[in-house]
Amino acid sequence: MLPPAGRVKATLVSASSSDLIPLVRKLESITQLTGEERQALESLPAAIRLMQPRQDIVRDKDRPEHCCLVLSGWTYRYKLLSEGKRQILSFHPPGDLPDLQSLHLHVMDHNLATLTACRLAFIPHEAFRDLTNRFPGLGAALWRDTLVDAAIFREWMTGIGRRTAFGRIAHLFCEMYLKLHSVGLATSHRCELPFTQVDIGDALGLSNVHVNRVLQEMRGKGLITLQGSRLVIVDWGALSEAGEFDPTYLHLRAGETA
Amino acid sequence: MSLRLQPVQVATGSNDAESQLVFEDGFLVAVLVHLSDEHEGDAGKWYLEAGFGRVDSPDPPKFADLNEAQAWINQRLS
Repeated sequence: MLPPAGRVKATLVSASSSDLIPLVRKLESITQLTGEERQALESLPAAIRLMQPRQDIVRDKDRPEHCCLVLSGWTYRYKLLSEGKRQILSFHPPGDLPDLQSLHLHVMDHNLATLTACRLAFIPHEAFRDLTNRFPGLGAALWRDTLVDAAIFREWMTGIGRRTAFGRIAHLFCEMYLKLHSVGLATSHRCELPFTQVDIGDALGLSNVHVNRVLQEMRGKGLITLQGSRLVIVDWGALSEAGEFDPTYLHLRAGETA
Repeated sequence: MSLRLQPVQVATGSNDAESQLVFEDGFLVAVLVHLSDEHEGDAGKWYLEAGFGRVDSPDPPKFADLNEAQAWINQRLS
C-alpha cells in the first residue's frame, strides 16, 4: 500500500521516463551498469508522491508493497523508544531506496519518514522482482547497495560506541558530503544538510547541547562553516582526520572520493 | 530527600562553565551546567552534564531552573 492519503498531505502523479534517473545515478556510483540496465531502471513503473516534511512514509509493522525511491529531499529511518525517545538509524538523500529491504523482509522493523519536503517514487515490489529476474546484473547491483547499507551501519555502530562527539559529527559530515558528491548533488566541499541539531543528536547518540558545542568548536577551529542548512567543509583534511574517516566502507567506484 | 548544591566551574570546552555539583548525603550524584547564550532557545537552562548511578541518563534533560532540576533528581533517587 502507498501511505494513506490521510496520513500525509500528498500529491500522486505518474512517473515519466526521466523521473527515475536518481536511481540510475545512485547505482552507478557503486557499480557499472549497461545501457540496457539503465533503460530498464528508467522504465520501472512508479507512482510519484510529494510529501511534506516530518511525515511517516512507512511505519514499524507495516507491510509495504512498494519500495520508496527518494527523488528529491531527505528521508530518514528511525526507531521510537518509550517516552518518545528517538534513534535515527540513517539519513537518505536522493537516489536512495531506504526501504529496499521490504522487497524480501515483509514486515517493517523500523519507521521511514521524510526529513524535508520530498518527491518520492513508489515502485511496486512486483516490478522490482520482474526487473531482477530479467536483469540479474541489476539484482547484483541492488544486493551490492544493501551490502553498502550494512557497511554504513557497521561504521555508525563503531562511531556511536567508540568515537568522541567531535569525531562522530566530523564523520557524519564527511559521509554525507561524499554520498551527495557521488550522485552529483554536491561539489567543492559544499552541500545542503537540512538536519537540526536534535536530528544530529538523535542519530549519533548525543544531546543537542553537545551537538551545539561541537559545531561551535568546529567553526572556531575553521573546519566548517554552517549557515542554516548550508555546510561548507573548509578543511577536509582536518575534518576527516578528526572523524577518522576512511571512505572505503562506502565502496564508491574509483574516482568518487573527495 | 535533601540535596546540597555546590557552585563550581566546569571545563566543558565551551562557554558553558557556571555549574553546580549536586550531593545527596555527601555523595556526588549529578553535575548541572548553566547553558550559555550560544544555546539560543536553551540559554539559561540547567543541563544534566553528568548523572551518577540512578541519576545517569542516556537522554540528559534540561531544566528551567535549579528547583526543577532538584525535583527531577529527587524523583530518580526515590
